[in-house]
Amino acid sequence: MKQIIFILSLSVCGLMQSQSPYEKGMETAFELWKNSPIEASNLFERIAQAEPDNWLPPYYAAQILIINSFGLNNVEQLTAQLNKAQDLINEAQIISNNNPEIMVLQALLHTAWLAYDGATYGRTLSPKIMEIYNTAEQLAPENPRVTYCKAEWNMRSAQYFGQDTAPYCKDFEKALELFANFKPETSFHPNWGKERTTLLLESCRN
Amino acid sequence: MPKLNLLTSIIFFFSMATLQVIQSQTIINGKVTSVTGMPIPGANIYLQGTYDGATSLDDGTFSFLTHETGTQTLIISYLSFQTCRMMDEVLSMRDLSISLRENVNALDAVVLSAGTFHAGDHSKINVLKPLDVVTTASALGDFIGALQTLPGTTTVAEDGRLFVRGGQARETQIFIDGIRVFTPYTPTTNNTPTRGRYSPFLFDGITFSTGGYSAEYGQALSGVLLLNTINEPDQEKTDVGLMSLGVKLGNTQKWRTGSLSVNMSYINLAPYNAILPNRNQFIKPYESVSGESVFRRKTRKGLFKLYGAYDSTNFELIQEDINKPEGLFFKLDNQNAYFNGSYGGVLGEAWSMHAGLSYTRAKNKRRIDDRAIAAVEKAIHAKIKFKNHISNYWRLYFGAEYLTTDFNEPYGDAPNEALEYGFRNDIAAAFVETDIFVSKDLAFKAGLRSECSALLNDFSLVPRVSLALKTSSKSQLSLAYGSFFQTPSNHLLKFNTNFKPQNAKHYILNYQHNSNGRLFRAEAYFKSYDNLAKYDSDIPRANSYFTSDGKAYARGIDFFWRDSESLRHVDYWMSYSLLDTRRNDDNYPKSVQPSYVNTHNLSLVGKYWINKWRSQVGLSYSFASGRPYTNPNRTGFLNAKTRAYNNLSLNWAYLISQQKIVYASVNNVLGFKNINGYQYATSPDVTGHFNRRALQPAADQFFFVGFFWTISDDKNRNQLDNL
Repeated sequence: MKQIIFILSLSVCGLMQSQSPYEKGMETAFELWKNSPIEASNLFERIAQAEPDNWLPPYYAAQILIINSFGLNNVEQLTAQLNKAQDLINEAQIISNNNPEIMVLQALLHTAWLAYDGATYGRTLSPKIMEIYNTAEQLAPENPRVTYCKAEWNMRSAQYFGQDTAPYCKDFEKALELFANFKPETSFHPNWGKERTTLLLESCRN
Repeated sequence: MPKLNLLTSIIFFFSMATLQVIQSQTIINGKVTSVTGMPIPGANIYLQGTYDGATSLDDGTFSFLTHETGTQTLIISYLSFQTCRMMDEVLSMRDLSISLRENVNALDAVVLSAGTFHAGDHSKINVLKPLDVVTTASALGDFIGALQTLPGTTTVAEDGRLFVRGGQARETQIFIDGIRVFTPYTPTTNNTPTRGRYSPFLFDGITFSTGGYSAEYGQALSGVLLLNTINEPDQEKTDVGLMSLGVKLGNTQKWRTGSLSVNMSYINLAPYNAILPNRNQFIKPYESVSGESVFRRKTRKGLFKLYGAYDSTNFELIQEDINKPEGLFFKLDNQNAYFNGSYGGVLGEAWSMHAGLSYTRAKNKRRIDDRAIAAVEKAIHAKIKFKNHISNYWRLYFGAEYLTTDFNEPYGDAPNEALEYGFRNDIAAAFVETDIFVSKDLAFKAGLRSECSALLNDFSLVPRVSLALKTSSKSQLSLAYGSFFQTPSNHLLKFNTNFKPQNAKHYILNYQHNSNGRLFRAEAYFKSYDNLAKYDSDIPRANSYFTSDGKAYARGIDFFWRDSESLRHVDYWMSYSLLDTRRNDDNYPKSVQPSYVNTHNLSLVGKYWINKWRSQVGLSYSFASGRPYTNPNRTGFLNAKTRAYNNLSLNWAYLISQQKIVYASVNNVLGFKNINGYQYATSPDVTGHFNRRALQPAADQFFFVGFFWTISDDKNRNQLDNL
């Protein structure tokens, strides 16, 4: 019995050790994201500086800051957060150039500025956003996030200009198909957006 | 016993394990606060290059364990604070108290801004937004027109140029990417305001300074307008504009390392004049062809931009004239070419540089009755500037520049019997400037500029200083002082070059309060002029007597209020300027208020966005008190004043879709009969009375309709379906 327990505990220890600090850190960060996003962003940032050749940690650190900034009214806080997110995106882009996932995030960051003050940023940022989605689509026509984020942007613009949103339903349908076939490179690679696409598909039909 | 054995071994195993953990891990803890002692929650604290770290709690405290040993670097970072690094033995990182300095680049930090207005994207104190330039009702798409709604400018409706704080229009200089523009305005007929030559859409940042500007800029006594061309266009596109006055075409191409934008426009006032006759009798209506292009190329460490513009304008008309019942014949043929090349890039860790060169060639052929005057002005400006980012709290700039103007004006019909006037003016200058942030709440800027003029045989060294102090989280107070030099203008230098450089000294006190969506600014100033050019004839002539004995002062207070928050969908701003100035320059016999100055200037601009109609309706009203003129029927000089100037303009922009806009505007909706001054007969009539003619605008009202269409490479959308 003793031996069994001893062997068992040893093997558990061994298992725990076989997980690299990177994997452990990423898992902890994803876990933290559920309840305390800022802590999670901080942890991703720490992983980023310890893993200078991996674009995923700065990508997620930026994503949390961007998502967090939607709906913020304090302009100082908003500027500080989005500027930091921009720095992190720049870092990620240096590590991985022409990456459609990072492009989508960049477009979302611009959208956050636009959501805060359309009169100031509309004229300069909306063409930028459009250009980013077009380039990303050329690079990765099969990426579901590119397809759905671009369709959402187009749908929001159409809503703003009082136009029919129905044409974008087929884009969301296409995105859902792409999601069904999408295989992330590792379990830490971006794989988000399916639920939102489903919601958007419903809203565009109504 | 076996059970007990098992238990002990488990306990033993776990305690051993825990003991091992305790033995090899070190605790790092402490508290993060701001310099003022406020706890900072959410800060990221970690050992450099490791996974070990924590986020500070609501009370600013943090604590984490690490396996690291020896000397390590602890990094503490938080959004708008400066990242703090400390190197120490891990074991001594206990009960740390860390105070973070606020980042001076943060949005709520003090800004060195006395005398300056910004229009742009991410600038901290934007007065105008990028779109304001084209949606201000009275501006008619001209960025100069939009700037005239800001305080510190004077309404000189028949001229259209920028008159700043009692100065003449030529005292305000315009720069594109830091490089001087020598001929920024389009030529016009009498009583028709001029416009800026350059398309507002090529620029993404506009800075307008009405005094106290940096040592980097010289040869401007009153103000500088700095325009920055877009670094990287957003997308490939074609712009089409159909207007009641002509057509515009533009195209932008992008590739991996650069881009090219080309704009062309053709303006012809013949159809407009045919429908709505005006006070001028055109023989050949106003016609202009212009083109401009920007080429940009990214290099590994910087960006090269080449901007080129060419335009050709001609018209022929008979102007009313009190001394000539049949009218005065005036013909103009103007060709203007401008090139501006600049490179900006980083040189190393803390160093960056910017260098540029511009070349202007302006050829102006005028015929007034039977006199023909052709003038050619060629000018070059070269500049190099270095910036050293010593730390976040200390920046150093220095540079040098060289300006040369070659002006040549043959006078008369046949070249062999013609007189020829001209000059060549070379100016070399060097400047050094530093920004020092004592804290987020207190900053200084101090600079020195030296200029050497070959033509005037003069060397000068002048200081420029300013200080900004945060008085609360939303407000700040600024002070600025500067001394500025400018060579007298071409129309005097062509006859005489024995001048001293004209000098102005600015003293500025500025207060501003900026809270979400509302901006209030008040600025009081005093400006004294010395060595202004004078002559003793009605207009400058070759045989006039010229001196540099002119003196002047200007003082006043400017107010600005902008509010885009209080009323839903409404954005408005108000400016009021009070100006008191006396000048004794040109051919003035004594110190007087010049004819281009009004004491009170008020402007109100409002914009209302109607979501349902996808329309923006704009209104702008301006009021200016009367301007002096000389009435020869009474004794004295500039002895009378015109009545006040009023103008209410409306515009309507309708967005058919994101890419198609219909724009209409009416200038002077209420048809105020504005009078800019009077022209008196040179000799009295039989009763001994001098007759006069009111100088009125060519037309009291002006209408504009345009359709603007942007075609971009956007495959999912076909805008034609929506027409």
